[in-house]
Amino acid sequence: MIRLENIIKKYTINKNNTVTALNNINLEFKEGQLVVLKGSSGSGKSTILSLIAALSKPTSGQVIVDNKQISKLPDNFAALYRRDNIGFIFQKYNLIPTLSVQENILLPLVPSNLDEKEVEEKLNLVMDKFQILHKKDAIVRNLSGGEQQRVAIARAHVNNPKIIIADEPTANLDEKLSRDFIQILKELKETNKTIIVATHDPLFFNLDFVDQTVCIDRGNLQ
Amino acid sequence: MLKNKINLYLITYAINSILRQKGKNSFIIVIFTLLTFLLSSIFFITGSIKYELDTTVDSLPQIIVQKIKAGKAYDIDIDAVDNILEISGVSDAMARVWGYYYFVNGGVNFTVVGLDQYENQYKKTFNSIIKKYDLTSLEQNSSMIVGTGVKDVMTKSYYDKYFNFIKPNGSFKRLYIGGVFHSDTELESNDMIILSKDDARDLFGIDENMATDIVVKVANPKEIPTIVQKIKLLYPDTRIITNEDLKVSYANIFDYKSGVFLAIFIVALFTFFMVIYDKSSGLSAQEKKEIGILKAIGWTIDDVLKEKFYESFIISVLAYLFGIILAFIFVYIFQAPLLENIFIGYSKLKTTFELPFVFDFQTLFLVFFLSVPIYIAATIIPAWRIATLEADEVIR
Repeated sequence: MIRLENIIKKYTINKNNTVTALNNINLEFKEGQLVVLKGSSGSGKSTILSLIAALSKPTSGQVIVDNKQISKLPDNFAALYRRDNIGFIFQKYNLIPTLSVQENILLPLVPSNLDEKEVEEKLNLVMDKFQILHKKDAIVRNLSGGEQQRVAIARAHVNNPKIIIADEPTANLDEKLSRDFIQILKELKETNKTIIVATHDPLFFNLDFVDQTVCIDRGNLQ
Repeated sequence: MLKNKINLYLITYAINSILRQKGKNSFIIVIFTLLTFLLSSIFFITGSIKYELDTTVDSLPQIIVQKIKAGKAYDIDIDAVDNILEISGVSDAMARVWGYYYFVNGGVNFTVVGLDQYENQYKKTFNSIIKKYDLTSLEQNSSMIVGTGVKDVMTKSYYDKYFNFIKPNGSFKRLYIGGVFHSDTELESNDMIILSKDDARDLFGIDENMATDIVVKVANPKEIPTIVQKIKLLYPDTRIITNEDLKVSYANIFDYKSGVFLAIFIVALFTFFMVIYDKSSGLSAQEKKEIGILKAIGWTIDDVLKEKFYESFIISVLAYLFGIILAFIFVYIFQAPLLENIFIGYSKLKTTFELPFVFDFQTLFLVFFLSVPIYIAATIIPAWRIATLEADEVIR
């Protein structure tokens, strides 16, 4: 279970200017749910995702995941939490463009220093699952947008995390590729993953397998 | 156990990371190699010269007695040897016949030393020469033994079999090259010509019962000041030079030369620190983003810093090794062209000075600690600055 309690997040622009990205947000997502965070650009959707992934800390309030407060974790513990629990699919994929597909997907496994055979098995499994195995040695910058996204999904999935977070995942895809991505999400949901998607893509709004839709506007819940 | 500690994936990633930025990293390796090369060349050359000077100074006579006339060194009566030998504490005294001969065509000075086959010698080099060559027969054949440098200079002027010396009275003295010697220390032997004492006297116009100076050996070095005083009382018209005085004189010359090198050294270090400063002042936007991504997918600050450590370690150690190897080749195989000339003013013979090979671990460690850890720190510190920021902030 993921719970956000009285979350306020402010960004400091300079000495005299701060922007309030989230204003006293309270949310709860159950395990295995697929949640859509809906809102326009700058509404605070991505900030919520960052807080759940412990990529940033709230100015006040707390984020609780599986009864553990993760919003005050020291940096290294936050990284370990992400490694074990979170698979993050970024809007612009955030892949390392000069590495190959396989090397990019391997990155979350690098610090674990697993056995070579185990690593290979995990890599082949996710590359096969997300239909990117045939491109495993291709350099990522040479791939199409759809292929890059499949690499990003495979990377998010390689550690078998409980929570998948996707930030505007279809923003750079055409409709067909967007529908393919939605199909992948559906399959992931069937494996009991908690999935949180921040988007303003209308394709997500009437999906029958979405459990919860949260509307955000200028840092406030609607 | 060790396998569990060393993360090969991290090392592989570091190598990949270096290769992904080939242009930038090649430039850094080239600059780093050049600086390591320059630093280690300077240290190798100064080490070699110091070795030469130390060996030379160690072989210097303990006391030299010179007759002074009109403020200049003048020939001394060899009878003084017997009187000096009677001073208690003196273990040996020898009259030396030697001098410099300026060879106009070569533009160099030769050091000409006269030896007697049956006398004790004041230098190890001379003992080995006497064992190898019969000076009496050399004299009978009007021959001399020359150092390697002298031989080269004479050969260049087509004197490959003999040399015509001009005596003080203007007449010629022809001496044949009877052999070539090579001693432990280049500085003392390179410009040297050995002949019989009689030939040397004839060459310099020194009377039969006179010598250039007298060298004195003392059994207990602590007694040198007392013996100097006694000789001074016995011969008030002499100048007495101890090996301590000569050491100071040599050290002054060496320190002056070292000063020139120090200037180059400081320039090299300054350039190195400029590069380091430039590097430590920030990472590129791409590098920052990469750290942010790695953190976002579960790398800890330690993981990021370890990777950066491997990266900078590989680059700096590679460059260090290249620099050291190049410096070895430059100094000991090519004899440090250009840099060597700064030092060679010391030798009376300005050509063919060979830097002896001196393997000094301290020098290698010094160059290592002056370069590798500094570069690693300059890589890790900016990476640490970025890695300690919130990943979200870095990616955005």
